[in-house]
Amino acid sequence: MLEVRADALPANDWSGGTHPYRISHRKLGMWLFIMSDSLTFGALLIVYSYARFSSENWPTPFPFYPSIIFSSSMTLVLLSSSLTMVYAVSAAKRRDKRKARRWLLATMFFGGTFIVLHMIEWLRLINEGLSPSRLPAEWATKWPGASAHFGSAFFGITGLHMFHVFTGLCYLGFIAARIRKFSADDVEVSGLYWHFVDLVWMFVFPLIYLLSVDFHP
Amino acid sequence: MEQPKERELKTLNFLLLLLAVAAVGVAGWTLVADEFKAGTDDLFLILVCLLLALLFAISPLMWARSKGLLHNPFALGEEDLAVEGHGDELLAHEEHGGSDRQNTWIWGVLLGLTGFEVFLAYVQLNLTLMLIILMGASIIKAALIVAYFMHLKFERLTLVLTIVPTLVVLFCLFAIFFPDSSRAHNLRQPIMRGSQEVVQEGK
Repeated sequence: MLEVRADALPANDWSGGTHPYRISHRKLGMWLFIMSDSLTFGALLIVYSYARFSSENWPTPFPFYPSIIFSSSMTLVLLSSSLTMVYAVSAAKRRDKRKARRWLLATMFFGGTFIVLHMIEWLRLINEGLSPSRLPAEWATKWPGASAHFGSAFFGITGLHMFHVFTGLCYLGFIAARIRKFSADDVEVSGLYWHFVDLVWMFVFPLIYLLSVDFHP
Repeated sequence: MEQPKERELKTLNFLLLLLAVAAVGVAGWTLVADEFKAGTDDLFLILVCLLLALLFAISPLMWARSKGLLHNPFALGEEDLAVEGHGDELLAHEEHGGSDRQNTWIWGVLLGLTGFEVFLAYVQLNLTLMLIILMGASIIKAALIVAYFMHLKFERLTLVLTIVPTLVVLFCLFAIFFPDSSRAHNLRQPIMRGSQEVVQEGK
């Protein structure tokens, strides 16, 4: 057998001792988490779609004003937060920790705005009488025989998403507060989580809001 | 030692290719079968079969490419053949990526797509058409966010091939369940409301 120097060999990913993905373990861990969480949200959205299209009647209670305007603003806010997160990662890679922290705080500001707007929307529906187990009485006249699953679907999906946004805020706050101790890779990993939260909203917004516009409020 | 590995790899890729061909076969059989009605069930089954065939074909195609059997438009860079070093060197490749200006432009495109979606909601379109267009736009937005904001476009192809099939399978799940919901809708019995019987509309 020919003797070959180890450093002259091309890297063979299947021989071990190499890094097939060429990313840090934290980043790979975050990607794996994102994949599993996307399956969770996917399952919820699939169930919501199934319940909606198999039911006899389904409430479409979102008038253009205020609901669609609010939710469109929420989408704009979340997209802007993604942009500021990208700037934060870019600043962290340039080793400019001060700017990275500022952009992280801007991202958190947009995230907090999203939660406030969403809570206003939730309170509007709760005050109308919507709960996870029953529909408001007035909806029986507008959408007779409508499924009560609307409440659980709406609060379940948007509530889980809001929980992710809140957790993201805590995560980003921790990174921003102790940014001296964290590397650019850590900021990028937190950015991955934040972009995933935005990504989920890209599906929740059309499926829950835009397909349920109330054209006759 | 190398020969058994090569044989294993060939066998595995051959099996995967067979599965890919079988998936295309099922799609083709659905198309030519007597019961084909071009309804949502049939179309979704064909779509899912073709997507699965694509997923199965990835490994054989990659193997064929590495053997030089396929013309490769995405040429392998020198770094893919280098011996791996420390963790710090791992991150050296991340220096390239989208510039701030490019990311801002992507953000603008995302806003534009969102505005288009909201405009569609304002114009009262048919629900099924809305769903298809909205899902299409959402997938485009998701692809842009994953590729540029989450930096996947600039990562190694291995990582892309690990992540993207999950999302494709997720979409396949949606496509599989969706026609079943309309079937469940059609199976509902008419219900009595007051003195009138509600008759189900046929589909």
